[in-house]
Formats: sequence, C-alpha cells, structure tokens
Amino acid sequence: MESIMPDMQPMNQTVQETPQFRVLTEDQIEQIYFAALDVLERIGSRVHQDEALELFRNSNEAVVSEDKRVRVPASLVERALKTYPRKITLQGRNGKRSVALQKDHVYFGTGSDLPFTYDRKTGERRRTTYKDVTDAARIVDALPNFDFFMSHGIVSDVPNPQTYDRHQFMAMLEGCTKPMVVTSVDGEGLEDLWKMACLFQGGEEEFRLSPMFVAYIEPISPLTNDHSAVEKLLFAAEKGIPAMYTPCPSSGATAPATIAGMLVQSLAETLLAAVMCYLKNPGMPLIMGGVTTVMDMRTTTYSYGAPELSLASAANTDISKWLNLLMFSTGGCSDSKWLDEQAAIESTLSLLTAFLSGANLVHDVGYIDSGVNASLESLVMNDEIIGMVRQVGKGIRTDDEGLALKVINEVGPGGEFVTHDHTYAHWRDWFFPKLMDRSDWETWNSEGSKTMSDRVNEETQRLLDTYEPQPIDDATRKGLQEIIDAAEKRHSK
Amino acid sequence: MAVDFGKMADLLIAGKVEDVSNMTQEAIDEGLDPQEVLQNGLIAGMDVVGQRFKACEMFIPEVLRSAKAMSAGMDKLRPLLSESQAKAAGTMVIGTVKGDLHDIGKNLVAMMFEGAGFKVVNLGIDLDTQVFVDAVKEHKPDLLGMSALLTTTMPRMGEVVNALKEAGIRDQVKIMVGGAPVTGEFAEEIGADIYGANAASSVDKGREAVGK
Repeated sequence: MESIMPDMQPMNQTVQETPQFRVLTEDQIEQIYFAALDVLERIGSRVHQDEALELFRNSNEAVVSEDKRVRVPASLVERALKTYPRKITLQGRNGKRSVALQKDHVYFGTGSDLPFTYDRKTGERRRTTYKDVTDAARIVDALPNFDFFMSHGIVSDVPNPQTYDRHQFMAMLEGCTKPMVVTSVDGEGLEDLWKMACLFQGGEEEFRLSPMFVAYIEPISPLTNDHSAVEKLLFAAEKGIPAMYTPCPSSGATAPATIAGMLVQSLAETLLAAVMCYLKNPGMPLIMGGVTTVMDMRTTTYSYGAPELSLASAANTDISKWLNLLMFSTGGCSDSKWLDEQAAIESTLSLLTAFLSGANLVHDVGYIDSGVNASLESLVMNDEIIGMVRQVGKGIRTDDEGLALKVINEVGPGGEFVTHDHTYAHWRDWFFPKLMDRSDWETWNSEGSKTMSDRVNEETQRLLDTYEPQPIDDATRKGLQEIIDAAEKRHSK
Repeated sequence: MAVDFGKMADLLIAGKVEDVSNMTQEAIDEGLDPQEVLQNGLIAGMDVVGQRFKACEMFIPEVLRSAKAMSAGMDKLRPLLSESQAKAAGTMVIGTVKGDLHDIGKNLVAMMFEGAGFKVVNLGIDLDTQVFVDAVKEHKPDLLGMSALLTTTMPRMGEVVNALKEAGIRDQVKIMVGGAPVTGEFAEEIGADIYGANAASSVDKGREAVGK
C-alpha cells in the first residue's frame, strides 16, 4: 500500500474538522458595536432601581438624568467589558461538572415558565402544575442531548404567586440532576434559590467555583430596566452568581424593523448591564443574551419560529465572541400550537443555526405555541434533532484513517466493506436514530405504520413510566423545605 | 476439562471468529457430539444475536461478525455431522439475476443465512437463468434466493421460476426473492414462495418456510 499512498506532509493546507459558520464580518460587528456605544452615550437607558442609579452616579463617569435615564461613556463600557470571565463551568446537583461554558462549546436546554400544558390523559389545555415541571425535569434528565434544564413550565398550583419560584426550583430539583438556568420573582427570590443550591454544593464559595445554576434576567426593550430585574442582577453580581441579562426585543415593535438595528439596540441593553455589574462587583460572571426575533405583522405574535430569530441569534453570537462574552441563545422552539410538521421544521432550523453559530447555552428547546404551551413530546422530539445537528457539527476527518485508501485497495472493485475491520472500527461514529424510522416499507407496515408523532408519544410515555432520577437525600430535602417554608411565612403576612 | 458452551456462545456474540473456530475444534477433539456443539454453543449464541438485533442492541457490522464466527464453527462441524444432521442445518443457493451487477444486498442476505447455520452457495451476480437451474440440480438446496435492484431486471426472477418448472424441479425448493423494487405482490405474481424485505426478515421467513 505504501507505494500507492506516498508518505508525505501536505503543504499550505487549511484543514478543518468542523463546519465553519459566521453571519457577520468583523467589520460589521465593529459597526454594530460602535453604534451601540453611541446609543449609550447619546440616548441612554432608563433604570428604575435606586441602588443602580447610585452606582452610576458614584462612578463619576455615567450621567444620570432626572427621568432615570443613564448615559455611559465608551471608556467606562470598554473597561467593564475587560472584566468578564471567558469560562464558567456549571455543575449539576449530582456534582458533575458537565457544562463547560467557553468559546464554541454548545449546550442545549429547555426554556422556562410556560403557563399552559396539554394534559396527556385528557388532551385538555390547562394551567401548568408542579407535577408537570417535575415530569419535564425527569425527561430532560433522561434525554442525553439535553445539557441543562430551565423549568419548561411555570407552577400554578402553589400557595402564593410571590413565592412560586422556590416551589418551581424544588420541582426542577426533584426531577433533574443537570445544571440549570432559573427564573425568580425578585432579588429575594433569587437569594432563596441560591441558598437552596448552596445546600447541594456545600456553601457559597463552592457555588462560585462551579455554580449549579445561571440566573435568567431580562430588561424590557427598548432600553428600559425595571426594578426587580436590576435587583436580581445586582444580587447576582454581589454573590458571583452567573447571570444572563437577555434582551427580548421584537423587531418592528420593540426594536427597529431591521435586524442590524435590533442588534444595535439589544447590544446597548447588554452593555448597560455589563457596566452596572462592573460597578457593583467587577468580574462577576455575566453571560450575554438576546432572544432577538420579529413581531408577526398579521398576528402581533412574538415569533419563536421565524427564520429571523435564527439569523439574528447567530449574528448576536458572532458579536459575543468578538466581545469575549459567553452567549445564551435560542433554538428548538416553534409557534405551532401542536407538535406537528411546523414544530419539527422550525425547531430543526433554529437548532442547527444556533449550533453552527457556536452559542454556549441554547435554550427554549421544546417550546411550542410561541412560548405559551409546554410539550413533553416536543422535548423528546428535539432530543433526536439535537443528535442529528451535533452529528453535522462533527465534520469530516481527512487523515489516512479517514481517507481509507488502504481499505479501498483491499476491498477492490466489486467487493464489500460491510465486514471489513475498518467498517467495524468506524460505524459507531455515526448518528443512530432512536425516533427516525429507516426501516423498509413492509417492516414499517407490519409494526403498525407508526408516524413520527406516534413514536414520539410512545417514547415520552416510556420515559415517564420508567425514568427515576437520582433522589435528593433527606438532610438536603429538609434544608430545602425550611427555605421554602420561611419564604411562605414572610409572604403570608 | 469440558468445553463451556456458555463461553462459546459469548465469544460468538462478541464476534470472535478465531476463538469460536478454536473452541469448536477443542470441543471436537474432546469427542463431544457435534450436534450438541452446534445446538448448545453456536446456535444458542446466534439466537441471542438475533434477539439483540431485533431489540436494536446490536447492529449489522456486529451481527455479521457473529455470523462469520458461526460460519467458522460450522466449517469445523459440518464434515462430522451425519447427513441428516447436516441437511437439518439447511442449504441455500443465492444469486443476482441476469443484467444486474448489484451485489451487496444479496451478499448481506447470504451472510445472515450463514449466521443461521445454513450452508450457502453464493453464485454471484449477472447470472443466466440456466445457472440457477443447474445449481438447484447440483446442490439440492432447501432455499433458492434471487435478488434484483433494478425494475428492468426484476422479470428475470420470473423466468428462473418458469425454467425450474420446465425442468421439473420447482417443488424441490422454496424460492425467495428480494431487492428494493421487489414487493410481496410481485413475489406472488411470479410464483415465488417468500418475499424478503430485508436481510434479517429474509432469514426469519426463510427458516420458517423450510422448517429450520
């Protein structure tokens, strides 16, 4: 064989093993960035929280107007941007450091707080319950392609809406051992969730080294920061809790109708948060976010299935890498009311785009009904899609083993590869479908002519019937309950 | 030291061709009944392989390794089996019809039948009708398998069935047809006995049809 394949080192080669994907050039990123700096210098952003206003005033650089508008010079923004970590490693309640956020590491997870759920027994659309969240948690814990968990649904069957977040976190912990992204009512809520997590981790310092969750916080576009969001952000900064401050602008409604304009505005919103956190506690783990999409001009829906969502999110990820910030992005979601062809199409497009863009945390996987309805089946279907997407991301090896010239020679014209050692060594590199059907017609027909939807339903039921997560030990459970009870007591007054 | 059939089956499941072949020889050297070695060692292992394949716990490259191990063991045993025992394991003649150079599907079926303990005579590709007729006369197989991937070559399978009738040997053999464009209806139309939709189900249906 050596005579066929001379031993040589190729020169002037660009060899890559994974697909390369970019939406913006570096010049475009700079245009957007400088425009965002200009927004903060000229227009500013309104902040409805006194401590934050005080921090800005005391900086002696930011200018705070009577109407709570904060304007920030570029020099302060650029100083703040230099302080953020480029790596955050999250661990689950099982102690596994399973999510290493760093450049081009992509992890997938659910979204949070969906108010409605289709009841699997009655088919009726009803409010989401504690059990629904625990079920979603179990399914995410079981599915191999989900790396982190957000609550999927919002618990409605709790004593007090002001303390729902503690119960919801408990429901999440019951079912899932993976790292999480959490929502909370306010600063006090976030503090309780953080205390709950510290029980698993053995204290604040351990949490800071390898946090169990990231706090999800959002401003209100355009350029508005409400009291509770800022309170949460400042608490996260103080304690070193990773947080994303994720603008959710809808192009044409709460942001310009051009994607570039929306990116400028949402970047300005992010940069303001970056300065605020810097003034509170330089170097706290801030993650860039942005659910950047369009408002549908027929229905006014904030679209989760729009191709613009994928395009703008990928562009935002380009910007985040240029800024050396970690990125919280979006994919695997749909506007469809039911888990159908539309849901599959929209989910696939946004998952693939988010993955290729190299965003770090891709959330909202499994959302249907534009972020209103929860669907366990959608989680199961999306797990398969993520598996396929990750396979595309593996790229192609072109070393000697990959080129397989020796094997082609050994088999020769008219031979077969199926029993060759090379095949035996490599067939496991492929994606193996769990839900995609590749059987012949007769087999498919004789096994009940099942559609994708049938198979997704069966797998969902199988997981619900059989999967048990690692339990929470009694001592920790007791500590968790005490925090929840104390919150109830405070709020029952 | 007695040969451990459980271990033999495990080696076969793991696709250890050499080891299975050696262990079969050891069993023979120890004077064990070849029929017992076949049933309790080789076939016991292949039964597990079949179950695991159906449960998606094993895949084609692994199944074919096990089949190869089975076949290696069978090569040692076959000369020692009585005529009736050897006959009981089954014989198959298989080939791709005239005008069709597609090989792989037919070879997969052949390998899977070897894995089921059959003696398989693989005639090759692009075969004249007479080659099939002569092979049936010569090898007296339980099964004749024919493959076509092209709609243009499918009718050749019917011609072979007719030629076997004319030669008066049609009823000696069960005829199985397969290939992407072939259907159960087509098999019936041309007077074949079995339609094999894929390699694994071909083996199941083939074994059932000839009672092996």
